[in-house]
Parts: sequence; structure tokens; C-alpha cells
Amino acid sequence: MPRVDLNTPAPDFTLQDFNSNPVSLSDFKGKANVLLIFNRGFT
Amino acid sequence: MAQLRQDDREFFKRNTRVIVVGPEGPQAFSTYWKKHDLPFIGLPDPGASVLKLYGQEVNLFKLGRMPAQVMIDKTGTVRFVHYGHSMSDIPENGELFTLLDQING
Repeated sequence: MPRVDLNTPAPDFTLQDFNSNPVSLSDFKGKANVLLIFNRGFT
Repeated sequence: MAQLRQDDREFFKRNTRVIVVGPEGPQAFSTYWKKHDLPFIGLPDPGASVLKLYGQEVNLFKLGRMPAQVMIDKTGTVRFVHYGHSMSDIPENGELFTLLDQING
């Protein structure tokens, strides 16, 4: 399974939020840092 | 998630947006976000496309996905990666604030 490495470009992606609005990582480029959290679930 | 909610303002002050990606569907996200009044962005990824792209581990013996965090700066460069090896293996937010203060200079 691929992993990302330090000091390399983060792979871009687009997903819809739960209100069906598209969100891309590249939306934040040049504007803000992003903390991506991969959740283990809501149990 | 509760700690993250408390610290969201600190991330925001450091010009950082928090995005949570999970394998649940939109309805589960919506219900959870409303119940806990979460301020950050929630992205359902039921097809696990981004979860796989970023290499979130699935541990069959520990019954689920392992937590992972990736900090990306404004240029789109990965500045911090942490792949958890257990459900509770999550970095302290204080560690992330220190890094962000360095990134923001």
C-alpha cells in the first residue's frame, strides 16, 4: 500500500463533503496548511 | 476527536485547516458532525480512494483502520507524516503546533 513521504508533493484528491460540496486538496494551495486526519471510524 | 475539536481554533490561528477523511458514508459523517458540533471539514471516502492513496493501514488483527495524520504546507509539500500502529497511536497536537510555528516562520 502506498505511503506518502516527507518533503514530497502531497497527492492531490477531490472528494465530496457530506453536503455534496467538492473539496480538493489543491483548493488550499497557496492559502493554508492542511492537517489531513485519517480516522479509524466513528464507533 | 474531542481533543481535535478543542484544538481546532489553535490550528486555525496557525492558518491550518483540519480535514478528516474516513471510510463511512455521507450520512454517517453528517450525523456524527451534527451530534458533536464539529468545526472541521469531514470527507466521506466509502470507496477508500484517498485512504489508499495516502496508505492508511488496515490491521485485520486489531479490527480496523489505523489512525494516520499528514501535515501539508501551503506549497502542497508533506511536512509531517504519522502512521499509527494502534488505535491510540496519535501524535500530541502540541507537537503539531510546534511544527506549524516553524512552517509559518
